[in-house]
Amino acid sequence: MDHAANISEATCEIFSSMVMLDVSPKEARQRTNPAFVKSISGIVGLAGRVKGNLSIHLPADVATAVTTAFLGMDVAEINEDVCDAIGELANMLAGAVKTALDPAGSDIKLSMPSTVYGDEYSLDCAHCGISVLVPFELDGQEFSVELLLAET
Amino acid sequence: MIFLDLTAAEPLAAGTEDLGCHVSAMIGLSGDFNALLGIHCPAKVGLAIGSAMLGMELEEIDDDTKDALGEISNMLAGGIKESFAGENVNLLLALPTTISGKSYKINTPSGSQRVIFPCEIEAGRFYIDFKYSPR
Repeated sequence: MDHAANISEATCEIFSSMVMLDVSPKEARQRTNPAFVKSISGIVGLAGRVKGNLSIHLPADVATAVTTAFLGMDVAEINEDVCDAIGELANMLAGAVKTALDPAGSDIKLSMPSTVYGDEYSLDCAHCGISVLVPFELDGQEFSVELLLAET
Repeated sequence: MIFLDLTAAEPLAAGTEDLGCHVSAMIGLSGDFNALLGIHCPAKVGLAIGSAMLGMELEEIDDDTKDALGEISNMLAGGIKESFAGENVNLLLALPTTISGKSYKINTPSGSQRVIFPCEIEAGRFYIDFKYSPR
């Protein structure tokens, strides 16, 4: 299954229809930089026949710009609204990727989204054998959407 | 499994609290309701737990420490799943994610319910965090 294509399609669709921002996908890669600096990540777990996580990682200023566009309110720094917006984006992305992984819609369930943010943090998944990260460009800046899955 | 004695303190009220933690593991649960279980440890406590569980002296937060904490979150979530299964509430587990860093905060959607259980071992205090929202 072409996870990168699913991620690109889901992300472009959600950004253009819900956030009203155009994003362009770049070439998929494995995550190389272990730590995120001044960033926020929204993470949603996938449970059931396929297990894993879907996450979106954004630098803080991209996250505030996305939140401003998504919620239609001005935000200058990472606060509860930004966390809710990024968590909700992760949730929508996971929903779209879930539909691609499981068209019948009964075998995969999403967990609650959570957001992690800070000056420096790293995220790891010990049992995830499959890792696909798709970078996107938004106004000259970059954010990424990542799918981690256990090998089945 | 880990061979450490711990004492649990009173659960903390919900809210944003800076737990001052340096390594965390989280695992999602879904099914009849949606939840997220987290373990948050200061570096020293994370190392003590990892060392005891793996039977080796860990000196820094590395992949071994994270694996150990991830595995503990998996076992705890498995225990929760089992006890709910006894009540006919079905849950499925996602995969554990570990977070580490000098400075980070974790947030869940506003409107979800949250309980934080502080636990004490010799090396110090750590927190088990359970957040849930009905379908």
